[in-house]
Amino acid sequence: MTTFYRRLPKFDYMSPKSLSELWEMIRGANGADYKVFAGGTDVIPNLKRRKGEVPKALIDLKGIEELDYIRYDAGVGLAIGALASVHAVARSCLVWEHYPALAMAAGKIGATQIQHRATVAGNICNAAPSADTAPALLALDASVRCASSTGERTVPLKDFFAGPLQNTLSNGEIVTAILLPESTTGPGSCYIKLSPRHTLDLAVVGVATSLSTADGTCEQIRIGLGAVAPTPIRALAAESTLCGARLSQENIERTARAAAEECRPRDSIRGSAAYRRAMVGVLVARAIRQSMAALPSRNTSQKLGDCR
Amino acid sequence: MEEYSVIGKPIPRVDAVEKVTGAAKFAADFSFPGMLWCKILRSPYAHARILNIDTSRAERLPGVKAVCTGKNFNGWTWGFMPQTRDEPPLAVDKVRYMAEAVAAVAAIDEETAEQATELIRVDYEELPGVFDPEEAMKPGAPVIHDYVQNNQSWEFHMDYGDVDKAFGESDIVREDRFETGKVVTGYLEPPSAVAMYDANGITLWGAKQSPYFVYRHLAACFNLPLNKIRVIQPFVGAGFGGTKNDSVAGDFCSVLFSKWTGRPVKFAYSMEEVLTTARRRHNMIVFSKMGMKKDGTLLALQQKIIAEGGAYTAIGPLTMYLTGAMTTLPYNLPNFRHDAYRIFTNHPVSAAMRGHGVTHTRFAAEIQMDMIAEELGIDPMDIRLKNAVKAPHETINGVTVKSCGLTEGLETLRNTESWQLRGKRATSGRGVGLAAASYLGGARQLGHQSCAALLRLCEDGTVNYLTGATDCGQGSDTVLVQMVAEELGIRMEDVNIKRVDTAVTPCDPGSYGSRVTILAGAAAQKAARDIKRQLSEFAAREWKVQPDELVFRGGKVFVKDHPDRSMPFSKLAKIACYSGSGAVILGRGYSQYGLERYDWDKGLGNPGTSYSFTAQLAEVQVDLETGVARCEDTILAHDCGRPLNPLNVHSQNQGGAVQGLGQALYEGFIMDQGKTRNPTLTHYKMPLSTDVPRVEVIDIITEDPDGPFGAKEASEGCIVSTPPAVVSALKDATGIWFKTLPVTPEKIYWALQEKNGTKSG
Amino acid sequence: MRQIEVTVNGKQEKIEVRPSETLLEMIREKLHLTGAKEGCGMGECGACTVIMNGVTVNSCLVLAVEADGKSIVTVEGVGSKEKLHPVQQAFVEHSGMQCGFCTPGMIVSGTYLLKKHPQPTEQQIREGIAGNFCRCTGYTKIIESIGAAAGNMSEGGES
Repeated sequence: MTTFYRRLPKFDYMSPKSLSELWEMIRGANGADYKVFAGGTDVIPNLKRRKGEVPKALIDLKGIEELDYIRYDAGVGLAIGALASVHAVARSCLVWEHYPALAMAAGKIGATQIQHRATVAGNICNAAPSADTAPALLALDASVRCASSTGERTVPLKDFFAGPLQNTLSNGEIVTAILLPESTTGPGSCYIKLSPRHTLDLAVVGVATSLSTADGTCEQIRIGLGAVAPTPIRALAAESTLCGARLSQENIERTARAAAEECRPRDSIRGSAAYRRAMVGVLVARAIRQSMAALPSRNTSQKLGDCR
Repeated sequence: MEEYSVIGKPIPRVDAVEKVTGAAKFAADFSFPGMLWCKILRSPYAHARILNIDTSRAERLPGVKAVCTGKNFNGWTWGFMPQTRDEPPLAVDKVRYMAEAVAAVAAIDEETAEQATELIRVDYEELPGVFDPEEAMKPGAPVIHDYVQNNQSWEFHMDYGDVDKAFGESDIVREDRFETGKVVTGYLEPPSAVAMYDANGITLWGAKQSPYFVYRHLAACFNLPLNKIRVIQPFVGAGFGGTKNDSVAGDFCSVLFSKWTGRPVKFAYSMEEVLTTARRRHNMIVFSKMGMKKDGTLLALQQKIIAEGGAYTAIGPLTMYLTGAMTTLPYNLPNFRHDAYRIFTNHPVSAAMRGHGVTHTRFAAEIQMDMIAEELGIDPMDIRLKNAVKAPHETINGVTVKSCGLTEGLETLRNTESWQLRGKRATSGRGVGLAAASYLGGARQLGHQSCAALLRLCEDGTVNYLTGATDCGQGSDTVLVQMVAEELGIRMEDVNIKRVDTAVTPCDPGSYGSRVTILAGAAAQKAARDIKRQLSEFAAREWKVQPDELVFRGGKVFVKDHPDRSMPFSKLAKIACYSGSGAVILGRGYSQYGLERYDWDKGLGNPGTSYSFTAQLAEVQVDLETGVARCEDTILAHDCGRPLNPLNVHSQNQGGAVQGLGQALYEGFIMDQGKTRNPTLTHYKMPLSTDVPRVEVIDIITEDPDGPFGAKEASEGCIVSTPPAVVSALKDATGIWFKTLPVTPEKIYWALQEKNGTKSG
Repeated sequence: MRQIEVTVNGKQEKIEVRPSETLLEMIREKLHLTGAKEGCGMGECGACTVIMNGVTVNSCLVLAVEADGKSIVTVEGVGSKEKLHPVQQAFVEHSGMQCGFCTPGMIVSGTYLLKKHPQPTEQQIREGIAGNFCRCTGYTKIIESIGAAAGNMSEGGES
């Protein structure tokens, strides 16, 4: 970089109060003309750093109040509106009760000031391979509702990521909600983030597991991995080695090793590919054990107490 | 021990209220009518010739008032020593590190200035770069500066006793290679200033730790006499040595722009700019050879240093000297040889940082001592106690120690629960380590090194205090006011210290090398005594006694042994000031070094006025599966003579220890062909509140005979002792010696894999 | 340019701002409240922390236009020289600052934390200020200051 910018580039600002107003604003516009944002905690720094094209206008979604909710319907599941903040999700009793991995992951993003502004939707739209909520949402079988002026579609989260910092939204589409099916694992999910510091760091490796058991056998298991592939991924092959198997130390280790083999990390300033692969092996096993420990046959009251 | 009114008391900072209310103004908080903004354009190459610069498009952008390049400074360069003036305000013929400043724009607002920099076209011819000092030393390496051979910026040698003979007599000799890492000061306030050039000369409100450096640089650069250079100190957002003890491109360019336009000009660097271009601590390779007898007596130490100097010399010569001059402390060392080489590379400039020079060699020596102790079966505490110096002591290179609390500090740590439980805790991956260090206070300089104080007694008994010493956050203003208040026997609030303004405050070498409390303090004491002497003459006449029979205490002046003959200090001040046609009572004082021998070339003599001693214990918890390490506890037993303000001294030690922790476990620039790959606060990892334990500080009081009120330096020693204490704790936790910093989780992980024989690809 | 109405430290302000102006720039350069600082400009250091509609935010990442109709509290609104907030008073007494550059952000985060957790544990204090970087103090005295303030406030001081 030859100039270190302190100021933002010039752009216009628009603030629709409803989805229909938004569609009107972007009608006929080319993708490069505008950029939608909510919390701005990724968008604003990127603009300051002059990363990518400068849009003609920033469109602030925060005026579309209907998008700010966290709703749980028994039998249906959890719906997180696009404007639900990371902070709200990290402290939601509902989320802690039914989807603890997501609450844990949200709580690990940045620091307090960032969490007040950032949204979970924004975290996945930014599509960093290390996005903290992504492994948890994958392990919880999330899907993403995308809307445009012509209608809506719902896509499984694993199909939402195209590559590093690339999502599969088309021109004219925004994410309106993140949907989680009714939890079949209850308290049996968790997220572990590996980073040198306790706060602020991006994940060197992010691991989420969600499982349920019956008589010491694994009934279901989903493993989400972050920062070890071009996108956040599910470790499907690893999952299949444990599903239906006894939750013995040996089987857990084998599953963890399978996840390590399955992932595709690369070297970066945060860590080498070899270290990250090794850490997947360590942390998948740890996460499985942590998820198991949280299941109802042990201490039920613990997790609810975390909700502050 | 004497009972003092304010000395030794936990007095809140004199500027605390300003700081907590947000009223304290820093350089970037200043704005003036008609002010322009200055923005710097930087080089995309680490090493390149500048063929041509076309500024015409930038000049034509509406709102741009001026553009400048290196040529506008007429070949002027600066440096710390006459023979090392190798650095220009803006690069002229070539750039020597990536993001070196190449041009600048002044415009009506910062956005316009930033936009304009994009319109400047620079034609470069890229040159091969060299990014490793050992590579840069080899014949045939790219030449960074023509005026030296093999990119050797500086060298410094010491040779005392007979190391070869001593190694022959040693029962154990170890040779190890250590590397101390690429870290930076890490102040939160980026460099910034507002400059004004008018008929009075230059005025600069600058974020400077030592304004008198930029004062001299500006005088030289702009060909003005010193009495026309006015550097005014706002509050300064920390310095820790390095950049804020020096000048930056923005300083020179904004002054030049003000000269051309007649308007005030402001610049402010960004944090990324700082993390890419600011002065860094030298990364040093230390080849260390240590010899001991089997009973643990240290016989000899030989160290060769390859220091990465970066692109220019800066204060490098002093750094090299300090790597050796203090190595003969804190242990008895009868034989010492030292060969230090500073090598240019196409990286940002390496300069001073807290613990200057000493951190590198002390790190190597502490770890090596522990390695030998392990081989000999001697406990790290015992080996230190065995070799620790005791006052009075003179080292083989003439460093004289008049007070030393090291033994007491070590014994204090030995009795802590942490040390007693060492090796006994059930948790695996837990370790406790120990290290010791000494650091100089009142750092010696070449050239001007005296501090001065001017006290103006107001007719109502309050005092204005002018000093050239800068409080950049370390709390010197508070401590200096304490000293004046104590000496005059008046209240803290009756002494008003003026922040540095080079038009009125006396010249000062600067706030670094732990000199302020000691030397500016000595000057303050002298000036206060000067006032007392003058006032005493009035009181003596009044009461018909000798001046030396008067005591100044508790806001009063009274006759010793006759406290009934007293009057308030304020009344005496009034009497004195209104006597005759009106007396003007000014107190003056400046510090002076003694007339002792000093040999810079050999490192012989005292590098400072006195020496602090720090013993430190660190306790770490390592996750043996992931390598993630946390410092769970650290205790410092430090001897600063007497803490003149325990709140300050403790806080400073805590801060220094955490900075040292950063260097030990978290911080390190990742460089790639001259590019800094992690110039953000997310990726250059300085400790946050959730990474550090409470730092416990224990004062060992030794009352140095030379220090003002017995004080010596505080809190540079702790940044020296922290990395080896942490590495020693990591050894205890993992069984592995780490010889390069930072010891990151990944480094620990691979080392554990290798140790357990489980290393896989 | 557009005109916004924002309440700053209890006072209604009408200000003209550009779309690409940040809240931090507006506070510092238009309102001349220079307590909030620009440390990194990227939301990584917390030196710019202010309270917006009751929660702490990094004002360097908020556009000034987003503050329209909202209430902002800066360090200048927490307390004054004449009447320090208990958190400010505690920082003075326990020396919770050195250079003072991070201090406005720390004070704002501290007051927010104590509203959420009037009797915080040490870990809660650490997490409450984890988004505020300090290089000078090593955090120990900042944590002590906030802890002391919590103690003073529970004894009937103001909150």
